[in-house]
Formats: sequence, C-alpha cells, structure tokens
Amino acid sequence: MSAVRPNIPVTKRSSARRLRRLPLHAGAALTVLVCLFPVYWMAATAFKPSRDIQSATPRLVPHTWTLEHFRTAVHTAGFARFWCNSLLVTTGAVLLSLVVALGAAFAVARMRWRGRRQFVLAVFVAQMAPWESLIIPVYIIARDTDMLDRLVTLTLVYFMVTLPFTTIVLRGFIATVPPELEEAARVDGCTRFGAFRRIALPLLAPGLMATSLFGFITAWNEFAYANFLIIKNQDNRTLPVWLSSFKNTFGTDWGATMAASTLFALPALAVFLLLQRHVTSGLAAGAVKG
Amino acid sequence: MKFRMLTGASVLTAALIVSGCSSGSDDAAGDGAGGTSELTVWLMRDSVSAAFQKEFATAFAADHPDIHLKIQIQEWDGIGQKVTAALAGNDAPDVIEVGNTQVAQYAQSGGLLDLSDRRSDLGGDTWLKGLAEPGAWEGKQYGIPYYAANRVVVYRKDLFQRAGVDPAAVKTRDQWLAATEKLNKGDQQGIYLTGQTWYALAGFIWDEGGDLAVQRDGRWQGALDTPGALAGMEFYRRLQALGKGPKDADEANPPQAEVMAKGKVAQIIATPGGANVVTEQNPRLKGKLGFFPIPGKSADKPGAVFTGGSDLVIPAASRHQDAAYTFVKELTGDTWQKKLALAMSYVPNKTSLASAVASDPGAAAMAVGAAQGHATPNTPGWAAVEAENPIKDYMTAVLTGGDLEREATKTSEEITRAMNDAS
Amino acid sequence: MSAIRERAVPRPAGRRPGRTSPPPAAPRASRDRGGPWPYLLVAPAVLGMLYLLVYPLIRAVLISFQDFRLRQLISGHAKFVGFANYRTLLTDPRFWTVVRRTFVFMAVNVVLIMVIALLVALMTERLGRIWRTAVLSSLVLAWAMPVVAATTVFQWLFHSEFGVVNWALTSLGFDSFAHYPWFAHGTAAFAILVLLVVWQSVPFAAITLYSALTTVPAELHESARLDGAGALRVLGSVTFPMIRPIVMLVLCLEVIWTFKAFTQIWVMTRGGPGDATTILPVYAVQTALAGQRYDLGSAASMVTVVLMSGVLVLYFRQMFRQEDEL
Repeated sequence: MSAVRPNIPVTKRSSARRLRRLPLHAGAALTVLVCLFPVYWMAATAFKPSRDIQSATPRLVPHTWTLEHFRTAVHTAGFARFWCNSLLVTTGAVLLSLVVALGAAFAVARMRWRGRRQFVLAVFVAQMAPWESLIIPVYIIARDTDMLDRLVTLTLVYFMVTLPFTTIVLRGFIATVPPELEEAARVDGCTRFGAFRRIALPLLAPGLMATSLFGFITAWNEFAYANFLIIKNQDNRTLPVWLSSFKNTFGTDWGATMAASTLFALPALAVFLLLQRHVTSGLAAGAVKG
Repeated sequence: MKFRMLTGASVLTAALIVSGCSSGSDDAAGDGAGGTSELTVWLMRDSVSAAFQKEFATAFAADHPDIHLKIQIQEWDGIGQKVTAALAGNDAPDVIEVGNTQVAQYAQSGGLLDLSDRRSDLGGDTWLKGLAEPGAWEGKQYGIPYYAANRVVVYRKDLFQRAGVDPAAVKTRDQWLAATEKLNKGDQQGIYLTGQTWYALAGFIWDEGGDLAVQRDGRWQGALDTPGALAGMEFYRRLQALGKGPKDADEANPPQAEVMAKGKVAQIIATPGGANVVTEQNPRLKGKLGFFPIPGKSADKPGAVFTGGSDLVIPAASRHQDAAYTFVKELTGDTWQKKLALAMSYVPNKTSLASAVASDPGAAAMAVGAAQGHATPNTPGWAAVEAENPIKDYMTAVLTGGDLEREATKTSEEITRAMNDAS
Repeated sequence: MSAIRERAVPRPAGRRPGRTSPPPAAPRASRDRGGPWPYLLVAPAVLGMLYLLVYPLIRAVLISFQDFRLRQLISGHAKFVGFANYRTLLTDPRFWTVVRRTFVFMAVNVVLIMVIALLVALMTERLGRIWRTAVLSSLVLAWAMPVVAATTVFQWLFHSEFGVVNWALTSLGFDSFAHYPWFAHGTAAFAILVLLVVWQSVPFAAITLYSALTTVPAELHESARLDGAGALRVLGSVTFPMIRPIVMLVLCLEVIWTFKAFTQIWVMTRGGPGDATTILPVYAVQTALAGQRYDLGSAASMVTVVLMSGVLVLYFRQMFRQEDEL
C-alpha cells in the first residue's frame, strides 16, 4: 500500500554498469549466504543419520539422507497434541493482542485526550518488562487464583508480552492512513467507527499481519513460562517444552531435535514467505511514524 | 477485502483449533471421586524403561485397586524450576523422583514430607549410603533411596586385544595410563574424555583424599586448591591428553556414546547403560564392549566414584500422602528393586540386594566401584554450584594451558560464594 | 535544504514538520478532544497491563525488599528486609562488573546491528528484483529460525573438535585453529555471542530500514544529485533525515532487546566461561533460579530496568517532542 516501490533509474550503458554493480551483487550474495547457512545447517542436520551429525570431518552436503529423525519427531507421543496446544495458545494471544492494541493504537493516533502521553510512555516501559524475573510473581498470582496448569494463563502471559510492540507499531500504521479518507466516509453517512472499519482497517491489513507475525514468533518459541506454569497437567504442554524431550541422560538426540525444530519453524516460515511483501511494506509504514 | 479475508481466515483457524484441540484435555478432572484417589507420580526420562513401567503399573493396580496410578515422565531440561513450581503449588504431584544431590535444597525449604519414622518400615538400615545420606537433611530423612548408578570404564574388547592390553590387569592408575597410552595410536583414541566430565574429576580428587568443598567453622568452602584436589586434576590432565576429547565441552556435547559408536575410541567413562546407546547407534559393536571399574591409586582399592542416582520424595503439598507412601514402599521394596536393577543396569538401593545383579557384567563392574561411592557435599548450597558449574570452566582453563594453582584458587572462591549465597 | 525538507513531508498525518513549514492546522481539525471514547478504547489495554504486568511487577518489587527464597516461595511468610538486597547487590563488585559488561555487550551489538542493517538496507534498495527477493527471503528465514535451534547450530559451528569453523580454518591453512576451544576463552565466547545476536537481530532491523528507504521519493535523490551532491552527501543530508524516526525506533528497540538478551546466552554458555558472558538478565536468573535467591534476582531486574530507562530517556524525550507537535 503506502510503500513506494524502489525507483531505480535504469541507464542504457549497461556493461559499465554491470561492472559497477559487481560489488553490490557480491554483497548481496554474501548476505544471502550468511543468513542462510545456519538455517541450512539446521535443515541438513535433520536429514543426516545420527552418526554424521557431529563428525570430525564435517560435510556441507550430507552424503546419506534419512527421514528417520522426522519419523522419530512425529511419532513421539503427543506430537499432534502439543502442536495443537502451541497453536491454540499462540493464536489466542496474537488475536487478543491485535484487538486490544488496535483500540489503544486508534485512540493514541487519532484522538486527543488527557493521559495520552503517559499511556504511550507506559507502553514503551512495558516493552522493557523483565519477563525473566516476573516469572516468580506471575507464578504466585496464578497459584493463588487457581490458574496454574491452564493454557489460558499462558495465553494471557503471551498476550501481555506481545501487546506493547503491537501497540507501538499499529499506532504508527494508523497515523499513516490519512484521516481525510474516513472523514469523507463520515460525510457519506457512516458512523465514526463504521468509517474506520470500512476505510482504514482494510488499509491496515499489512500492518496487522506484520505485527501478528512478530507476536507469533515470540509466543511460539517461549519456553520458561510454558515450563513453569504448566505443572501437573502434562497434556497442556507446548511445543518448546516438548522439544526438550529429545534430551536424555546420555545426551541429546540432535537429529530429532533439529527435525522437530524444522517442523516447528515451518508455520512461521510459511506464513512469512507467503506474506513477505505485506510484511516489509507494512513494517515500513508502521515504523516511519515512530 | 484483504481485511475480510484476514478476519475470515483467523476466525476459521481459531474455530479449527478449538474443535481439534479441546477434545480430551479434560481428563485432569474427577480427581478423588468415587473413593479411589488418583496418584500422580513424576519419574525422570529414561529412569525406567517403558516395559518395566508397564509391568509395575499393572501389578500395582492389581494390588491396590483403590489407587489410580498415573505416572508422568519428566524431561531433564528445566527440571529444577519444574520441581520448584510443583512443590510451591497447591496441588503437587504425590511422588517425585529427585536427583540425590538435589534433595537437600528442597528439604531445607520445607516443601517435603519428613519420612524419618518410616525408615525401619522401609528397611533403611541397609540403604546405600550414597543415596540415603543426601536424602537426609538435619537428621531427618526426606528422600527415600530409589536407585543408584556410578561410572565405570566402558571399553572396546577388540581394540584392547589388538593392542595386546589385558583389561583385567588394569588395576591401578599407572597401569591405566600405560594401557591407554598404548591404545592411543594413529587415529585411534586411547580414551575419549571430554574436558568437562567433572564427576570423573571428583572421583580422582576423592582418591587423593581431597574434596570438592569442605566445611570449616560451619561455613562451606571450595576446596579445589587443596593438595589432594590439585593432584586429582593433574591426573585428569594426563588421562585426558590420551585421546581427542574436546577440552571445552562436556560428555553430552556431542553425546560421548555417539562418538564411541563412530569407532576408533577404545574407552569412555560412563554408566553401563551408556553401552546400550553405543550398540544402538552402531550394531556392529554388539558384544565388543566390556566394563571394568575405574582403577584406583593402588590395586587393592578401586577408584572412588560419584554415586549418581535418585531418591523418591513426597511433597508436603501432596493431597494423597498415604497412597504416595504405599507407592514409595512398593517401588523401593526388594521385589521391584531387583527387577529394576536387572532391567536398567542399576545398583539396587540396598546393599543387601547387590547379589541380584551379579550376573550382569556392567552392573558387576559398577558394584565394585560403588563400594567406594561418594556424594557431593550434602548442603542446599551445592545445587547452586552445580547450576553455575564453575568446576567445568576450571577444568577447561587448566586443560587449555591455564595455571593449575591460580585457576584452582579462583574457582574455589567461586564455589565458596555460590554455596554461601544460596544457603 | 529546507526546501527539500518541506517536500519531504507529503502526508499530513506524517512526520515531524520542518521548522519552516506552515502550522499543520488542517488535519488536526479532525481530532476529537475529550469524550469517553479514547478512554474506552484504551481501557482493555490499560486493564490488561495493570493486572498482567503492573501487578506482577509490584509483587516483584515487593520480593526485592523481602527475604524471599525457596522456603518463602513454598510456605509464604516472607519478612521485609528493607534495602538489604539492594545493598548486597550494589556493594558486590561482581555485580558492577556485570553491569559494565552489559553495557559493552549492548553497545557493541547495537552498533554492529545498526551499521550492518543500514548497509544491507541500502544495498537491497539498489538491487534488481530477483536479487532483492533473494536477500529479503533469506533475511526472513534467518529471522524465523527458532532461537534455541539457532543457538545450538552456532554452538556446533564453533565446536572445538567437530565444528565447521575450525575445520574450515585449518583447511585454509590456519593450523593454530586446530581444536581451538572457542568457548574456553572469555573473549572468544563473548564474540560468538555477539555474532549470534547480530545475526538474529539484523533481519528485523534491515527489513524495517529497507522498507523505510522505499518510502523516500526518488525525485529527492535526483534533485540533490543535480545540485551536485555526492552519494555520501545525498545519504547524509537527504535520505537519513527522512528515515531518522524509523532509525531511532529501531535503535530504541534494539537497545531494549540486546539489553534483555537472555535465551541465547543461557543456552550457549550459561554466562561462562567464568563470568565472561554474564550480562544482567543472566545474572538475575542465575541468582534467582540457581541460587534460589528470588529476592536478589528481583532486585537485579529492577536495577536493570532503571539502567535501561536511563539509556532510553533521550529517546523518550525526543519522542515526546514529536508527540507534542502532532
């Protein structure tokens, strides 16, 4: 939407140009290589037989391929259930934080009210919250309100972890949508929020996607709270906790861990690649506003 | 349009998830209804095999129809936090398997049930010291010995034969070094000993009469800088050099059993159970692995070893303490201990049961060492030391050329700090 | 210059207007003052923050003033000890070393992240379609890799016996790197962690900055070039001022994120060797969970938040100036 396609002036003298662009392409190749190597290593490990995983003569390309680790990962008891739990908790947290943040962001970006400044400051401070240390108080509160062992508790925690970032970015997005558009709709007889819903919200779709993906990744990977707040009801464990089940007294089944990690990263990757254009333009639009 | 699609998609996903996931997750309810109590037991991953667990559960259900037993397997990652969370909760699991060195800190916190008066009922007189002592705190028994295991040398019979080394003749440290040197040729490693295998170091230190930490004037102090401890580290350095074990990693990175499975490793220091992992990874080594106790300073006394193992504890917050006790009594009783030791290559929890595993070569080698079993300092502060583990850094520093005495002094101070910060 | 600045503000609800631009009165007319609506809209967020963040935070502050260990967690009855925990903490020389290290870690990381991200963003903007998609996709892939998996892979790459890095270095003839134990040396371990954090953080920063660059109208560059400005000058006086707000936001977020880096360090080194990679969050968790000193851990976190706010105060001030002009 608002992102302008980069406008590279095309010149005709192309051979000299190509030479000049060589360092540029070298840089691009280097970036791709550096970014992808660890990702590749994760995926390649998942396909290597255990004996080749950490070997004194590493190979860049596995010489034998195996699906064994994926089989181990998928057949480990509870794979589907924990996958579901993670999805449930993560989606719940992300949707909740989107809805709540949208309201707050709208109020901040479009309305003048006493306390607005303090609210914005509070959101920024919330972004700095020391979650590692809040685990004990959160545990105590959950225990005293009988909320331990419940997925809802995790959902609420993840909602809170992602809310500040979501609000900050959405506020920027809303500010980039010219209010005149909505005013025009209001002149045509829409209510204030009707105008917002019909006009601004569709324009905000990329922003919503960008922020929800960020929240998704954060919540999807979280281990400490999932380990600490789900105690006796083991059916409520989430994927990151389940991932640690490949560790035993004799070491870690790294092949299965990497296979599981690959499977685990898949949803995030798929969504990301699918929406990549929206995400990048979305983030830009949102962040320009600060 | 885009937005409508987005809402539609998310509502759809949400609906799918709710319908797909919610079924069957309500089995936690119904606790204690209808006269039977549901007993939740936490055992650690791989502490019992699936077959043993099934056999035990079936027999237990038959003997105690009023108790509905639910065994949950716990993962090693983050277990300290998890047990903490469980003990502090309102509805704790009823029995928890806890590493023997971890009992003290939980006992000190008041989260465990005092079982001192049940000692004789459970046959406490013949309990293994390495399990019973760490299970006690200030004269009261909180942890009930469950099983023990200690490290032995797992070796390749074929490589020993080819090098002309007789494993039965390796009785002293000097013989061990000589034999290992002979085995360490070309691309063959005499021993694969990682730089941070700290409980092996602990054994060498105990052999020399040293210790990891000592209590002076009621205060715990790191003792790596004492002469005995320094001599132990010196021996570790000589042994470690006879192979290609990484100096900056422990035996889990990569798993040493996997390294041995890849071949050309003559020895590792591991629990006998580790041998099964080796043959699992490389079936060609089946029948080629042997065991002998870690050699001591002289031939008449095998090397000291760290008694690893677990105790069973009953949280104070358990709602079914009587049923929990019934469970503990069964599992730590003679009948099941013999079966467990055979199934898992463990040392049973009582010295009187040692004969039960005499037929198993791994367990037999282990039993010899178990007579020289030691435990880490029995204080809540020790758990803090293990959590940070400055000993591992110390070993790496010395092995990579650091000054032995200076590093030892520095690390002893760190241990002192960690132990006293926590208590 | 000011002419360019004025043209640089095409959207009414957009950026901070230049000093010479006319008062942007028109768009502001649409803003409501008062009424219950804004309060109703922020109410869920405020209530959520109060219960899920402020309340636990207050409990954490309380804990930092109590004698609170495992025993108190299990059986309650914690005693107040005033500032004793803070005194213990602030008089511990180890704590101050950790604070200093945290700032070094943050500064090194943030500088590297911002410079590399800016370079990558500028490069991406100049690339053709295919290359651009390739670069952006790889950035996205790196970003989406689970933290624990990424950390483990980095640990493997630098393994002293089985690591690809040592293997590659020895193959290239640097024989001193045979079996080089990276994690045994404080500086090396620190450097690897910086590398990991930078690797994980650059994608977000680069993608965001790139998207910001795409909003800079190309005519601006051209007119500046026609005025005879060199590439660097164009960057410094045209491009940068335009994307300044976004650069500041990214900077602010990266400061927060690197200050709070925890999982990577915990998984990779647990703060070791020695204390070489212990930064504040690691220190807080070490004391809280390993030493069971929840009181000291809480106190350490509170100090962390205060220190972090100190760093960001400048940013907030600038942000509020911007807000006021809105």
